[in-house]
Amino acid sequence: MANRTSDKDRSRILFIAPAIIWLLTFTLFPLLYSLYLSLHGSRFLRVTHFVGLENYRMVLTDYRFWQAFRVTLIFVVSNVAATTILGLLLALLFNHPIKGIRLFRTLSTIPLFAAPVAIGYICMIIFYEEGGPINNLLITLGMNGINWISDPFWAKVAVCLADVWQWTPFAFLVLLAALQSVPDELYEAAALDTVSSWQTFIHITLPMIRHALVTVVLLRTVEAFKIFDIPFSLTNGGPGLATRTLTFNVYTTGLRDQNLGEATAIAFLLVIVMLSVTFVFFRIYRSQYE
Amino acid sequence: MRSTARLWLVVLLSLTLVLALGAVGFAQEEDMAALEKKTADEAFAKADKGNPDPSWQGKKFTIAVLASGPRGSISGPYYFWRPYFEQLTGATYEIAEIPFGEFQAKIFTDLATGQGMYDAITGPMFFMGDYIANDWIIPIDKYFDDPRMPKWDRDSIAEPIRNLLQFGDNWYAFNNDHDGMVIYYRRDLFTDPKWQAAFKEEYGYDFPLPPRTWQELLDVAKFFNGKDWNGDGKADYGITMHLKVGEQGFFNYLALAASFVVNPAPGDDPTKVTRYHNVFWFDPETMEPLINSPGHVRALELMIELVNAGPRAMLGWGLAEAWDVFLRGDAAMCFTFGDVGTLSQDPRQSAIRGLQGVVAIPGSTEVYDLETKQWKKLDQPNFVANESGASWSPVISKYSKNPDLVAYLCSLLATPEINHWNVAWGWTGVDPGTTYDFLPPFGTASIDDYVQTGYDPQDVTEFLNAYLEMWFDYPLSLPYLRIPGTADYIESLDIHLSEALSGQVSAQEALNRTAQDWERITNRLGRQSQLELYREAIGYTGQ
Repeated sequence: MANRTSDKDRSRILFIAPAIIWLLTFTLFPLLYSLYLSLHGSRFLRVTHFVGLENYRMVLTDYRFWQAFRVTLIFVVSNVAATTILGLLLALLFNHPIKGIRLFRTLSTIPLFAAPVAIGYICMIIFYEEGGPINNLLITLGMNGINWISDPFWAKVAVCLADVWQWTPFAFLVLLAALQSVPDELYEAAALDTVSSWQTFIHITLPMIRHALVTVVLLRTVEAFKIFDIPFSLTNGGPGLATRTLTFNVYTTGLRDQNLGEATAIAFLLVIVMLSVTFVFFRIYRSQYE
Repeated sequence: MRSTARLWLVVLLSLTLVLALGAVGFAQEEDMAALEKKTADEAFAKADKGNPDPSWQGKKFTIAVLASGPRGSISGPYYFWRPYFEQLTGATYEIAEIPFGEFQAKIFTDLATGQGMYDAITGPMFFMGDYIANDWIIPIDKYFDDPRMPKWDRDSIAEPIRNLLQFGDNWYAFNNDHDGMVIYYRRDLFTDPKWQAAFKEEYGYDFPLPPRTWQELLDVAKFFNGKDWNGDGKADYGITMHLKVGEQGFFNYLALAASFVVNPAPGDDPTKVTRYHNVFWFDPETMEPLINSPGHVRALELMIELVNAGPRAMLGWGLAEAWDVFLRGDAAMCFTFGDVGTLSQDPRQSAIRGLQGVVAIPGSTEVYDLETKQWKKLDQPNFVANESGASWSPVISKYSKNPDLVAYLCSLLATPEINHWNVAWGWTGVDPGTTYDFLPPFGTASIDDYVQTGYDPQDVTEFLNAYLEMWFDYPLSLPYLRIPGTADYIESLDIHLSEALSGQVSAQEALNRTAQDWERITNRLGRQSQLELYREAIGYTGQ
């Protein structure tokens, strides 16, 4: 009996082992090594000596970090809000028996499969200030062209638009699936009570798709914090530091400036921020749910 | 019935015309390709080829270059000359193309980790400080007398560029590209009496043909900006530059600021480097940044005004976009590297062939004296040559397994015949900078070398003479920054320039921020070691 139990345990361990090894090798070790790096000095990608929290102090007293933090927060708030609202509106619009809905759904996923760097480069053409399609259209309509890349405000808008264009289909698909799982009986009952469409949405639809909505917001928030490719390829973080995000800072500090200590310190600070946001989000969500 | 026949006739004639034009174009392309091959074969035949080592046969190495493709700037010649190299040595090489924005990260990572993926690097010369401080590349002096190596002429290279290829007492890079910034302008426009009279009326002095000071250049740019001088119904621009952050806009600033900051030394030798003379970047006694000193601030203020005399979009432009506006005839001037001198001759992308003037970089009539802390008014403009640009030149990695073979390729491409061929065929991106590129009486090149490749005679004469004047006649030159962390210092400057040019902060504030960043970088890399290397790089002896 005892032998059979230990055989069972061994089998379990054998089955779990690959996953544990994978996790230790590719998640835990890099994480711990990054922590080690963030506590050491480095010069030209070589670790020099233990410096304690000096790298963190340097990062936190560098205005470039705070500027990138501010820019990242702007992108997180605006991109997540815009993606979710647009995705929800589209999902509500297409949550009806419409001819060709399947085709539209398939087509709508295309931006999701495009590489963000490619999107950035395509947007360089779209937002080109001297004769790009958008400015040409605006000028044809009798308006002034917009300084999409050369103006700090509009450069942020251009990055946001590119990111929202890529991620809205994700929100749309998830929320459409959620909407289609809401039982028709609820709507029929509401219709019998002659409840208005708005009240139906607030009291029936929204609570029923709440989990999907939370998933979309959470995943998008995490993604938005990591935004790098589009500002990298579209604006190069400029003009000045106007579109330089935290991940962009990690890249330039680590690979261009060869300063691994400060780069990993920024990365850890980013992780802390993301975990904090996620934790707070879940706390609020759980308190409401319970 | 008759109208149908007429319609068919029109269609047929149109098709014939299109085909005929296509055939003519194709034949011209074929002619150029044949001429290119013929002249290359001739250059190859004349070039010294040394005595390739038989043991090189079958070997292979990798050279990292700027990503521009097989017919693009800097990378193009490596593709073009590869069969010739293979024919001589029986060896070959791979070309690793790396985009400008990733160049530093990829190269430094390879060298710092000792991976040795790249045997040679044809990179920007502002990497030299890092190369030397980290002992990443090998000196090449030993190859000069090596009988296996093709011979190239070091004395023919313009001194400012020659200095970039050396560090201390050694040579580290082979002759290849020679970058510097000049001003291109529309000769037809500038010589038009109508515009000259209008300028005089507006500004109260004769049209400067060409502008030789920055103030004159600013006035000319302002004058032409916003006017429809090319008659296309749209307002045109005064000047165009490439100022996108992370690209090469900082070179414009360096070339402009030099004449406001680089102060000639008193006495017999105006080029002597003292604490207060011929310095640009740091105080050579303390390593404190000079970047926010009054000379720099005034230069940046002028650059902000220049930006207002051109398309605002240029704040988001790389090289190609900035050049395109000038080449298609929508800007009166272009402030950039040597490439435009070549591109302007290509009728496929240029509307200004035969209309282009070129002038060496202007000077300033005032320079800030760091010693007296006063502005010095000058009777003659302070002309300061610049090597603004990357001057893409090959160096050999110390991790290379075949350094001699690599040296053979680099020496072959550095021979006067092949290097000059690259300069004359401008698509290579290799810019002129040696005596054999310039015209007599100073140089030994023939104007036919250029005209046969498609240059307009007057365009190319102005182009070559502008560089000749800047590199061989200007009394001073901008000291290139060649210390560890140069790319970091430059990146910080680039960001803050962009902030000032886009109106986010004032010139003074932007340069104060730069100075603050530079202090951090210096402290991180070690002030004393940085100071010693800086002194060596600029030739400061403390006297």
